[in-house]
Amino acid sequence: MVKTIILYTKQTLLFIFLISIFSCSKDTPEIVNEEELITTVELSFNTQGESEQKIRWETTAPNTAEIILKSNTEYEVQITFLDESDPGDIENINEEIIEEVDEHQVFFEFSGVTISYVQSDSDPLDSNQNPVFINTVWSTSVASSGIVRAFLIHEPTTKNSTTRNGFGGETDVSVDIPIRILEE
Amino acid sequence: MFFLKGIPLWSQDCDFVISGTINDLHDGTPIYGAIISIEGSDNFAQTQENGFYILEGLCSGSVNLKIEHTECNPIKKKVSIDENAILDFELEHHINELEEIIISDNQLKGLNGNAKESRLNRDQIVRFSSQSLGDALTTLAGVSSLKTGNAIAKPMIHGMYGSRVGIVANGVRLRDQEWGSDHAPNIDLNAFQNVQLVKGAAALKYGGDTPGGIIVLSPPKIILGDSLFGQTIINAATNGGGGSLTSKLMKSTSNGYYINGQLTAKRFGDLTTPEYVLSNTGMKEINVSFKLGRSIVIKGWELNYSRFQNETGILRAAHIGNIQDLLRALESNIPLRIEPFTYGISAPKQQGLHQNIHLIYFNQFKDNFKWQLDYNYQVNTRKEFDVRRGVSVDIPAIDLKLQTQNVLANLKWNKTFSWEFEWGINAMLQDNFSNPNTGVKRLIPDYLKTELGSYFVGSYKPSNSFHWDWGIRLDQVDWDVQKYYGVSDWKTRGYDKVFPQFEVKETGTQILVNPKLKFINFAAQTGFSFEIGEQFETSFSYVLSQRSPNASELFSDGLHHSLATIEYGSLMLEKEISSKFLLSLSRTQGKLKGSVEPYFSRINNYIFIGPKGLQQTIRGAFPVWQYDATNALIWGVDASFDFNFSSQLNLDLNASYTRAQDLKNELPIINIPPFNSTQTIKYSSPKNRYDVEVVNHFVARQKRFPDLNFSVKTLSEGSIIEQLVDVSTPPKAYQNLDLFFSVYLGNPNKSKTILRFMIHNITQTKYRDYLNRMRFYANEIGRNFQFQLVYSY
Repeated sequence: MVKTIILYTKQTLLFIFLISIFSCSKDTPEIVNEEELITTVELSFNTQGESEQKIRWETTAPNTAEIILKSNTEYEVQITFLDESDPGDIENINEEIIEEVDEHQVFFEFSGVTISYVQSDSDPLDSNQNPVFINTVWSTSVASSGIVRAFLIHEPTTKNSTTRNGFGGETDVSVDIPIRILEE
Repeated sequence: MFFLKGIPLWSQDCDFVISGTINDLHDGTPIYGAIISIEGSDNFAQTQENGFYILEGLCSGSVNLKIEHTECNPIKKKVSIDENAILDFELEHHINELEEIIISDNQLKGLNGNAKESRLNRDQIVRFSSQSLGDALTTLAGVSSLKTGNAIAKPMIHGMYGSRVGIVANGVRLRDQEWGSDHAPNIDLNAFQNVQLVKGAAALKYGGDTPGGIIVLSPPKIILGDSLFGQTIINAATNGGGGSLTSKLMKSTSNGYYINGQLTAKRFGDLTTPEYVLSNTGMKEINVSFKLGRSIVIKGWELNYSRFQNETGILRAAHIGNIQDLLRALESNIPLRIEPFTYGISAPKQQGLHQNIHLIYFNQFKDNFKWQLDYNYQVNTRKEFDVRRGVSVDIPAIDLKLQTQNVLANLKWNKTFSWEFEWGINAMLQDNFSNPNTGVKRLIPDYLKTELGSYFVGSYKPSNSFHWDWGIRLDQVDWDVQKYYGVSDWKTRGYDKVFPQFEVKETGTQILVNPKLKFINFAAQTGFSFEIGEQFETSFSYVLSQRSPNASELFSDGLHHSLATIEYGSLMLEKEISSKFLLSLSRTQGKLKGSVEPYFSRINNYIFIGPKGLQQTIRGAFPVWQYDATNALIWGVDASFDFNFSSQLNLDLNASYTRAQDLKNELPIINIPPFNSTQTIKYSSPKNRYDVEVVNHFVARQKRFPDLNFSVKTLSEGSIIEQLVDVSTPPKAYQNLDLFFSVYLGNPNKSKTILRFMIHNITQTKYRDYLNRMRFYANEIGRNFQFQLVYSY
């Protein structure tokens, strides 16, 4: 019996020892600095004789602003992607896109309006001389209204396409912005 | 256990011969040195190394055969002799002296009772040497695997997986982020000799929170006395252009010391379907394990270390940005990215590293009391790499480190030969660290989790034909979590009202909270098994299990790139309470052996993830899924039939059906295996020099599924069209065929060397599987020729 008690005591002590290994405390976790964020898409429109028009799409806003263009007019359009999650440190994602231009593609799709676009002279080209469409020239036609869907595509399977599906790849940005074309 | 492979030969009085083999009931290995004798006579025979015996000079008439072995319970069998016959027996092997350290045998006795179990023997484990545990287990009726591609397979029992299925290796629960549906168990099948599946929660010693069941992996038995042996298995496969090498060596000495070492390496490149390469589906894995111990019958100790490391590519085409990308993938018959074959693995990929240290000490006192102390430390690191923009490819998107310590003290009391009791206390501390340097919001937060439990189990086995067992277990689970929520998230979900006590501080748009959650779980189990006559055996068991929600169900918070869904956990979840009834009926009649196992489980607070609207993001709208609870009913039947046409030809049929219903929402539950059946026909050559096996798998279409489809607005030729994204409809039924050809070289009775040639998916069937998460993107793999060499020494 005494032997049994000794064994139990040994067992209990060992158990307590092992439990004490367990005691530890946890530090307050660091806040994660989110890296690949894009919070804002900015489109700017310029044509001769008019002041610049800027439309923003923001993740935290209701985004009702409408693009208003004149019919049968050419516009210099620039798209800018921003990370504004930290107001003290706004990041321009365009720099990154231009740096990794082979892996990126900007693309626009329209509904309700007829607009054609080509790259502008200032548009960066990739290693195969394909435009990335950050800087484009839009040609409007008749008066109408609809939406423009702006895409940023990551690792497109081809850089030569005229449809979103044709480019393949993964969508990093897909935002819808209302657009109206007024009679000149 | 007894079955007969009768071969009528000629007859002559007192000149009959009975021969056959005696194998281990549990793993089918031959038993050496068993004595088979005829009661009331001095005629006996002893089994050779391969388990073979021959008993000559028998007279016609009825005799009582007795089969004995020092390490086994003896069995008796009445046979009538009127011709020469081959009689095979299976003995229940209990290495009594080593019962404590050889946990496998210890468990076998306890588990073997009533909760239905099935097992994989050494030969089956060897065949799956280059694959995973999940793949190997699917050969058992009632087991499927939830897969992500081909290399990631998660065992699923009766439609349950993840935290609902426990994996016990070397006597300890594996703690490896099992909550993730794309996380395969971090374990090397090759380090084990026996895999058992307990469909009920009979292994209450290891936890009472696994309504699906427990998978018990046991290492090779320890030999007492001087011995040195080993085994090397080499595999080469055409599909994936890879293979594996596994080697183990075991040494024991007569003074009780033993030492084991084992090493496995695997490497595969991209796999291929009948038509195309599955780009980025390569994998590599390297595992080692080491064991040192001493056992002197009444006491002993053991030190175990194992290390598992792998890297697995995820199909590149399955990485998508938004639902329009998903729709494009669904509409395409082939993956949207197909590159030339390569061994390289790039993002998306997973890296896992699991290390395990285990110390055991056991001692016996007063002859029939034994106590054992286990200390176990497991470290699991898991890194998931995504295709990322503007971030170094070397930075993972998920980087988790899970450390678990566990202490188990167990006291066993063999009151009499038929009564046995076990009592124990288990304490676990788990620490999860989620590295913030990923630049991605944590999917799983930092937490400390403690579990304190105690169990009491007993069994009563008055004879070979009756067995009763029962057990109870109580656990307290405490979570101490530190997590950042978006302030708006915290408020929209009403947590600021329900859990104001958890709030720590607000930093800009985020709020740090410190949830402290407590769950008390009670589990109980009981079962009976009995034989009626010699042919009929039945068992019944009831298992009550309670499971507290896991880290993912409570806290997950993020975007899933392979399905374009945003998944949220829920702090409101309560414990899941499951009642499961299992019945098993088996009958042996002549050459036919059959068993039917119906089961039924009712789960209250069944935790599942379901759709909860859409969330607008800069990539368009995303479906939001959130964990929620319902009541569920899961029932089904597993059946198997074995028909021995002759000692050479054998037909085996396996089938299982599962039906699961969400009772609150009156919907079928997602990801439940459809009806499936396997038919195997095996021919063995007369002297067992070779055998040929053809296996046909049939998997029906799952007709019961919840409709989780949603729609997406796409722009096409100047107009907006709304398109349906069908993520619900299960793939069509399929059938595929495998072939195994094994040659046993050298002395056929020793079968030291096995050459095996296997062909999987012979007919190049093009199919997709409902339980493979990659089914939206690609077909399953095509034909694979595999060559295997097994060399034992």
